[in-house]
Amino acid sequence: MADTSRTVLMMGNPNVGKSALFNRLTGGDAVVSNYPGTTVDYTKGVLIENGQEYEVIDAPGTYSLEARDAAEDVAVRLISENPGATVLVVLDATRVERGLYLALEVIERGCPVIIALNMIDAARERQITVDTRVLQRILGVPVVPTSAVSGEGARDLAGMLRKAQKVDIETVRARADGQFDTPEQSGGCTGCGGC
Amino acid sequence: MALPVQERWDLVDIIARKTVAAGAYRQNLGDVLGDLTVRPLTGIPVAFAVLYAFWSIFSSFAGALVTDGFMVKVFDSHWLPWLQGAWSDPASIHYFLFVGDPLAENCFEAFGMLTSGLFVAIGVVLPAIIIFYLMMTVLEDSGYLPRLAVLMDTVFHRIGLHGYAIVPVILGLGCNTPAVTATRVLETRKQRFIMMTLLAIFIPCGAQLGVMLEVIPDAVGWVMLFLLIGFGIFGFILDRIIPGSNPEILIDVPPYHWPLWENVTKKLMNRTKSFLKDAVPFVLFGVLVVNVLYLAGIIGALADLFEPLFVTWFGVPKETVGPLVAAFLRKDLAVAQLSAIAMTPYQMITAVVLVSIYFPCVATFVVMLREGWKELAAAVAVLVATVFIYGGLIHAVGILMGVA
Amino acid sequence: MKRLSELEYGESGVVREIRASQHELNCLGIRMKKQVKMITRQPIKGPVVVVVDDMEVAMGLDTAEGVVIETGEHEGS
Ligand SMILES: Nc1nc2c(ncn2[C@@H]2O[C@H](COP(=O)(O)OP(=O)(O)O)[C@@H](O)[C@H]2O)c(=O)[nH]1
Ligand SMILES: [Mg+2]
Repeated sequence: MADTSRTVLMMGNPNVGKSALFNRLTGGDAVVSNYPGTTVDYTKGVLIENGQEYEVIDAPGTYSLEARDAAEDVAVRLISENPGATVLVVLDATRVERGLYLALEVIERGCPVIIALNMIDAARERQITVDTRVLQRILGVPVVPTSAVSGEGARDLAGMLRKAQKVDIETVRARADGQFDTPEQSGGCTGCGGC
Repeated sequence: MALPVQERWDLVDIIARKTVAAGAYRQNLGDVLGDLTVRPLTGIPVAFAVLYAFWSIFSSFAGALVTDGFMVKVFDSHWLPWLQGAWSDPASIHYFLFVGDPLAENCFEAFGMLTSGLFVAIGVVLPAIIIFYLMMTVLEDSGYLPRLAVLMDTVFHRIGLHGYAIVPVILGLGCNTPAVTATRVLETRKQRFIMMTLLAIFIPCGAQLGVMLEVIPDAVGWVMLFLLIGFGIFGFILDRIIPGSNPEILIDVPPYHWPLWENVTKKLMNRTKSFLKDAVPFVLFGVLVVNVLYLAGIIGALADLFEPLFVTWFGVPKETVGPLVAAFLRKDLAVAQLSAIAMTPYQMITAVVLVSIYFPCVATFVVMLREGWKELAAAVAVLVATVFIYGGLIHAVGILMGVA
Repeated sequence: MKRLSELEYGESGVVREIRASQHELNCLGIRMKKQVKMITRQPIKGPVVVVVDDMEVAMGLDTAEGVVIETGEHEGS
């Protein structure tokens, strides 16, 4: 099997801005539209960051890893076919809760994960605040606020890709239950720069 | 290491509670419009208005403004006479292939690769698809499509689909190939099969619409009506005979927002580029192939062979066999060719409907194959039956109305 | 207690039970104890559109019939 350690797989719910962010990261031409199900097949692109070349894959949106339709099936297959790939989970900052389910599922699979908190501009406008630092500490993976329309955060996100983390779901649960002040015991500092 | 589903949701709740704080939400104009356009009382009139505006802008801008006002003049008064004069030896084979009829007065009738071929591709179809895609992009980017899907759901339910099938249908009116892939938004194989088959048979693409508006402006309404009725009848039948389930609609309805200029122009550029790159060569190639087949006598032989079927069963002249061969390469080209054949208006309507339903163009064929060869084979079987039945039916209607 | 499909326009309530398509509905934000509000019900057995967490979701009538809602005094999260 091909080396997939430099592959970045973008996963997330439909219509959260994955394709828009993909275009920002790779300069690609993925189709961006305002309805769920725009992307029904994957698109590949290349991102060069710090002399490191990544292959970025924009997957169709999915609500969970149990595929509901053929487009979701493509996404779920991509994650199995690219073991070792970094999974960039894109969350919509205005509806974090929905995306978290998929994020947890991906974490449970044992993939190295990094999270983009996209649509941060829309969240601000709707007066929704997401505490990025707490989210980062509970999940133990880097969380980068982005706006694919303005480009805000895209560079930071690219720079953070190499800091994607594999985490044990039980430690996530322990930290979520309140003991998140002991990062050393629970998998070590994520080095995500959030502290 | 995977959590049970409920525990995962519980964890989601805990994390969300600790990280997300929502201020008081103020409804904005978009939300108010969102509600109005999804409620039946206000939404249905708006949907009609939107679709009507779409169609009238498309037909007046593409047909009347750009093609008639500009392209026809350029091609017929400058390009054609120049080419007819400059190309040597009007009696030769190469003249016939590239320039066509030396006496033709317009680019539709000349039928050479560089006359009709270029004119159809650049003069007629290009402006049509640019304006079509421009409006389609606005629909896509504003967030209107999911609302239209909700309003159309009841209708699609009757043919085994649900409202979200509007997405492949609208995409298909631009070009059938991305639409075939977009059927993946539907949940079951049954739904995807029905949608794919109906797309391939009854949804004319933007290129074909553009040519239809140009060459048979008065008949377009009738052709569309026949296609729409066929879509309904055959969808209803397919739903009864295909095994499988029809899940209901279940979708997120995103908030409206203004289409971003940058994104609109980017999509328009990419779609236009891929038209120039993929479709234009096919149109030119199509003219060449048809001309060669004419010269070789193959079209004549096919026309004689199919004469009984065409004349007695469909009620159209046997010369329409030629365009049907071209239709396999490009439907827009086929419609353009039909317009040069002498027919009664009803025969023209029938012939154009036949061109639309009879076979998907090669490009569509290829993407359908990618979605599964079994489905493709079944779709072709349905298609052959449909062409035969529906073609005969339209002829029968014409006889009853006394126009055929 | 009412079915989600029986809510009046503008009426809201709290989800108490989901009898079918539970996972799919959960993924779209329709979960136990969530507050939902009816936006519209399409005629001739058409779909319903509800708001949950300020987001609109459209679902078929049968799906909506499987969701049990408590209306009235109790406030949900
Ligand atoms: N306000 C805002 N809109 C965004 C952002 N990212 C994407 N969008 C819009 O959200 C819609 C969905 O984007 P798309 O990339 O197609 O989402 P995907 O389905 O996840 O690939 C489009 O209309 C985008 O213009 C963002 O960061 N902020
Ligand atoms: Mg996408």
